[in-house]
Amino acid sequence: MALYLPALVLVALVSVFPIAYALRLSVYRTRALRTVEFIGWDNFATVLGPAGWADIARTFVYVVASLLLAVPLGLALAVLLNKQVRFVRLFRVVILLPWVVSQTVAALLWKWLLNGQYGPLHGLFGGEGPLSSTWGSMASLIVVNVWLSYPLATILCLAALQTVPAEQIEASRVDGCTPRQSFFQVIVPTIRSTLLILVIMLTLLYFNMVTLVYTLTGGGPFSGTQVLSLNAFLQSFQFFKIGVGAAYSVVLFVLNIVFGVAYIRVLKGKNDG
Amino acid sequence: MADTLTGTATPAGTRASTPSVGAARGAARSARRPSRVRRAGIYLGLLAASGFAVLPLLWGLSTSLKPESTVLATPVRWIPEHLTLENYEAVLFHSQIPLNLLNSVIVSVVTVLVTLIIAVPAAYSAARYRFRGKAGLLFFILMTSMVPGIAVLVPLYYLAVKLGVYDTYLVMIVIYSAWQVPTIVWILRGFFESIPVEIEEAGRVDGMSAAGAFLRLVLPLAKPGLGAAAIITFVYVWNDYLIASTFVSDPDLRLISVGLYTYLTQYGTVWGQLTAAVMVTLLPMIIAFVLFERRLVAGLSAGASKG
Repeated sequence: MALYLPALVLVALVSVFPIAYALRLSVYRTRALRTVEFIGWDNFATVLGPAGWADIARTFVYVVASLLLAVPLGLALAVLLNKQVRFVRLFRVVILLPWVVSQTVAALLWKWLLNGQYGPLHGLFGGEGPLSSTWGSMASLIVVNVWLSYPLATILCLAALQTVPAEQIEASRVDGCTPRQSFFQVIVPTIRSTLLILVIMLTLLYFNMVTLVYTLTGGGPFSGTQVLSLNAFLQSFQFFKIGVGAAYSVVLFVLNIVFGVAYIRVLKGKNDG
Repeated sequence: MADTLTGTATPAGTRASTPSVGAARGAARSARRPSRVRRAGIYLGLLAASGFAVLPLLWGLSTSLKPESTVLATPVRWIPEHLTLENYEAVLFHSQIPLNLLNSVIVSVVTVLVTLIIAVPAAYSAARYRFRGKAGLLFFILMTSMVPGIAVLVPLYYLAVKLGVYDTYLVMIVIYSAWQVPTIVWILRGFFESIPVEIEEAGRVDGMSAAGAFLRLVLPLAKPGLGAAAIITFVYVWNDYLIASTFVSDPDLRLISVGLYTYLTQYGTVWGQLTAAVMVTLLPMIIAFVLFERRLVAGLSAGASKG
């Protein structure tokens, strides 16, 4: 118990206390770093107003599309990297490489790659490049996000795949399963808990992602990539509306809790069954 | 995007085309060693994915080796006509980037040490001892790793200013450690649980204290886990932008990711130099990754598979 104490104190100081403080800030009108007056739900009215709902909708588009691409891609690559073919170790290092790339660096590199005038892909898009339209920049943001996060998915899936007993797969094949059937009916159920943990980790990561959005698109053009997390950051540190920023943070935090708890329940339910 | 699609489509396609009615022996063999057609499909998928992975990196590398005058030349050349190191020279000798790198090394290394010193005892006690409220405490630790960084940024900023630690290494190290401790506790607990408790019992029988048994017997066995935890924390600090940009405004204390972004906004888009700076930043990460890849994969997986 005593061994636990330092970890608890540090975590409480840097995570729990600030969350409580953010809750307080979110119901006050603020000027710079001072709370001016209690205004109840007004800040939340801003966040959950029409502009706020657009942010929330964009957040869900971003999170769901990224998940739908990153998880299957990560799993498929894990399946390929689990095969006994030559150079597989080399392929593994190359394919997992984006894992060490930071969001800032990824944003800079992709910005340059997708550059409408001088980038090597400009023939593909024509005109100004994808980052100049609202849909194009959301699509680019999702692709870059997937590029950054599929290695984590691949790593976790690969580790899980290696725990699936080979005899079990062979047995299913002897019983007449096609490779596809044995994949979906034997392998996927076996690694289900890893897949769920992966989905939790990625969902939380995507919901709270600020750096990539800020450095790649800055929320633009025309707010086309303005997501909740980015707005929490911009309101607080660029427009210095700390109260509104705190309200954004609280909404984000609640979403985190809802998803976190939902996933944990799903996980526990499946493990018991 | 096209690469992503081929990467996932290829294996499914080849899988469907393999005859499924073959003799049981044939099927069993193909589960171990793929047939030639399927192998081709596997290689195609792996190559496409590798292309997707390295495309932005290669384009950056190519640009960083071009003289400034040809960076914006059209048509686009992947392999520079004239190779030059002038961009690297500018970055390494005439910019803030080396200082930023030094700052990042200092803050990352200290954060790794602090995180391990705090997380190791917690993880070990979670793995070995039973005490009241243990499940609750573990759940609490896991939950705090779900507190979004962005949600507590404002209060922390306020606290840092109040406590007079704004613009210091200290504030970054404390925040980074606090945010990494839950994850690392989670990962290390898995490692400690995989070490048989009999080893310590044998040590105790031989007259070691509990602490002695832990330090001399368990810790050496947990080295792979500690290594993975150290790398995960190091990469996290090295790559963070949010904390580094919020809690430090002094240019002399800037970490590398902030330095890079400042480079972009300060000098306009001098892509040759910027990509050279990016390559300089990436190099230590890529070397570390290539060297420790297997250990890292093991560490990440251990953390995730212990539900």
